[in-house]
Amino acid sequence: MERWALVSGLRGDLDLYEQIQSDLQKRRGTAHLFILGDMIGPHPKCDALLKRLCQPKRGDLHPHCIYGWLEEQLLSLYGYRGEAKADELQLQSDDSGVQQLRQAVDTEHLNWLASLQFGLIELDCGLIHGSSADVGDELQETTSPLILLDRLTRLDVNRLFTARSGRQFRLQLTGGQIRSRVKDHASEQLHEQPVPKRSVIGVGSGANYTLYDPASDHIEFLSVASRSGPSNRIKGFQR
Amino acid sequence: MQNTWLITGPPGCGKTTWIRDSFLKHQGTCAYLRLSGSEQDGLQQGHNAGIDSTWLQDQIPELLDLRTTAGAPRPTAPRLLLIEVQQFQPPTSSGPDGIDPQVLRQLEVFNLRPDRSLHFGLDPELPHEDVLDFKRLESWHRNLQGCVWDPNSLSSFWFELVNGAYGDVYRAKALMNMPDGRSFLCNWMVSQQSSQFLPLEAVEPPAGRPNRTSHLVVQGRALDPAGIESTIDDCLLTDDVLELHQAPLRDRQHALQSNG
Amino acid sequence: MTMSHAVISCLHANLAACEAVLADIDQQGIDTITCLGDLVGYGPQPNEVIELVRERSIPTCQGCWDEDIIDGLNACECSYPSQLAERRGHRAHHWAAERITEDNKVFLASLPMTLRRDRLLFVHGSPNSQHEYLLPDMSAFAALERVETAGAETLFCGHTHQPYVRELSEGSIRVSVQTNGNHNDSEQAMTLPMRRIINAGSVGEPRHGSTKATYVVHDDDSGAVSVVKWSTTSPKPVKPSLRRDYPRCSPGV
Repeated sequence: MERWALVSGLRGDLDLYEQIQSDLQKRRGTAHLFILGDMIGPHPKCDALLKRLCQPKRGDLHPHCIYGWLEEQLLSLYGYRGEAKADELQLQSDDSGVQQLRQAVDTEHLNWLASLQFGLIELDCGLIHGSSADVGDELQETTSPLILLDRLTRLDVNRLFTARSGRQFRLQLTGGQIRSRVKDHASEQLHEQPVPKRSVIGVGSGANYTLYDPASDHIEFLSVASRSGPSNRIKGFQR
Repeated sequence: MQNTWLITGPPGCGKTTWIRDSFLKHQGTCAYLRLSGSEQDGLQQGHNAGIDSTWLQDQIPELLDLRTTAGAPRPTAPRLLLIEVQQFQPPTSSGPDGIDPQVLRQLEVFNLRPDRSLHFGLDPELPHEDVLDFKRLESWHRNLQGCVWDPNSLSSFWFELVNGAYGDVYRAKALMNMPDGRSFLCNWMVSQQSSQFLPLEAVEPPAGRPNRTSHLVVQGRALDPAGIESTIDDCLLTDDVLELHQAPLRDRQHALQSNG
Repeated sequence: MTMSHAVISCLHANLAACEAVLADIDQQGIDTITCLGDLVGYGPQPNEVIELVRERSIPTCQGCWDEDIIDGLNACECSYPSQLAERRGHRAHHWAAERITEDNKVFLASLPMTLRRDRLLFVHGSPNSQHEYLLPDMSAFAALERVETAGAETLFCGHTHQPYVRELSEGSIRVSVQTNGNHNDSEQAMTLPMRRIINAGSVGEPRHGSTKATYVVHDDDSGAVSVVKWSTTSPKPVKPSLRRDYPRCSPGV
């Protein structure tokens, strides 16, 4: 059995990462660990976590990382994103929040963060922090199915694993259709397009993570008891 | 037993297509010869760039082109020899007497004497839909040997060419190389609704520039050769871009070979 | 009293085509005209076309070429359909960027991304971006999402240079939801609204298989749409003095 573990929103918490690693050891049968962004955060062990992700310890399940909303904000603060200057973070947080994020991440990690991909395609699955529309796209089980179907269509995948909303859910498109009539200069065409059997999976955030078995399409929503107190949470980073 | 027919007609009337169909129907050896027609006042001949001969040889691989095999021993099997000449006006009389003197001189070089002469627009057994009476005709051509086209650019260029962006084009014919190794016969006649794009049977490996015949011949009025040239230059692939097209094709071919 | 209005798009500095199309619209007694942008690019008379739109006070949204000219980018980075189009696009961009007056650049910069009248939304490419192509064969659900997320009933767009009218109707989506801690999957169904996308094609650089300019006439009351094709081969040709250093672009110009 080659299960995948899907994790996001560690936010610099090395202890939490170690807990998840040991939880995965106990459960056995997990072959791949995907970290869907938001590895960084205003946490005293943030640099240590980034180092651990780059240089896994013996016995660690090797992590495949992509960047998330927080990495996007930090990289834009440092000018890695052209004109963009972390406006969203500034809006949601305040100057001290921006400052704390800068302080938590040593600049030696910036090149590694900048080298991370926006998303991964594994088999017929798309793994992404938000969606292909935007790294900050918050998809939940209550999001309009039309929008969810659009996000699946953009990536052309059967399953979209997303983390940005922090929710753990699986929404399956089970049926339906639409009629499309196109008239142009040459012809008129009528098509009935069925809803494709596809799904969007929210993998959770922080202590909440997800196991997925591609062979059986089985999903398991898990949680490790978090040792992180509320002390390292700051305004604007809470979701 | 040998049939030697002289096929004449104005540009775009369907000579080569008719010749191809006749060869395909013929049981036995087929031979082909294209001769130059004579220029008339205001009517320029289309350049004989070997497009017709290349196309026919591709379609009928065993075809003998007398221009390249003149010295070869004559086969004894029944042979159909079709001689193609672009000729604007119908002959004054049927039979050998009506043959243009300039064509007669060329026939003598090959020691040939046609037993039939057929002219498009005159002989009812030939199609006549595309026989036009041209009063003035300019001709322009460009050798494109070794040139490879960006396929979408070719389609835009051809659309512009036959829709009047470079003067009134009545007739355009070309052999064009694609990056994937294919070559297309592009064929336009003003009396037809649309152009023909016919792939040649022979495909070159996608490795660099092919060495086969590639040429564009345009006939019409008030042609803008500088405009045509400059657009063509924007459509042709540089070595680097050609390699970008061809490298993945070669990889795929290797993958198929190693799998199969 | 007719409630018909006309929508034009992708004028591309082709003054002769713009004049011909506007005259045709005027002749029908239609006085509401909306323009979906791309006043410049490709063609030889960018200033003249901008000034014509300004004189007639035609409400206009910003196209990708309008945006890129004022931003000083190399050229509209929308994927070009061919090498030929790309090379011409780059040349035309440099040519136009040097010639468009400061005043006209300020005007282009002031154009809004979208225009809205009741439940009608006007955009250049899509509500998301001036650069996104809404092609007639894109997924019907994704197409509906563009119109619905923008809160419109009818979306007018251009950018593809190929006119079409697309009606999306009788749609529904059924879903099954599983959440953490809730072991019973919940089933839901959503009925989708009827929406339309109307692409006006192009006045200045048509790519629908002929050289005729296109625009659309839409009746607000009945919802009837007609795609009008207008031959621009007859209007007066571009003055030779303008053509001398102007990069060739398309047939009919």
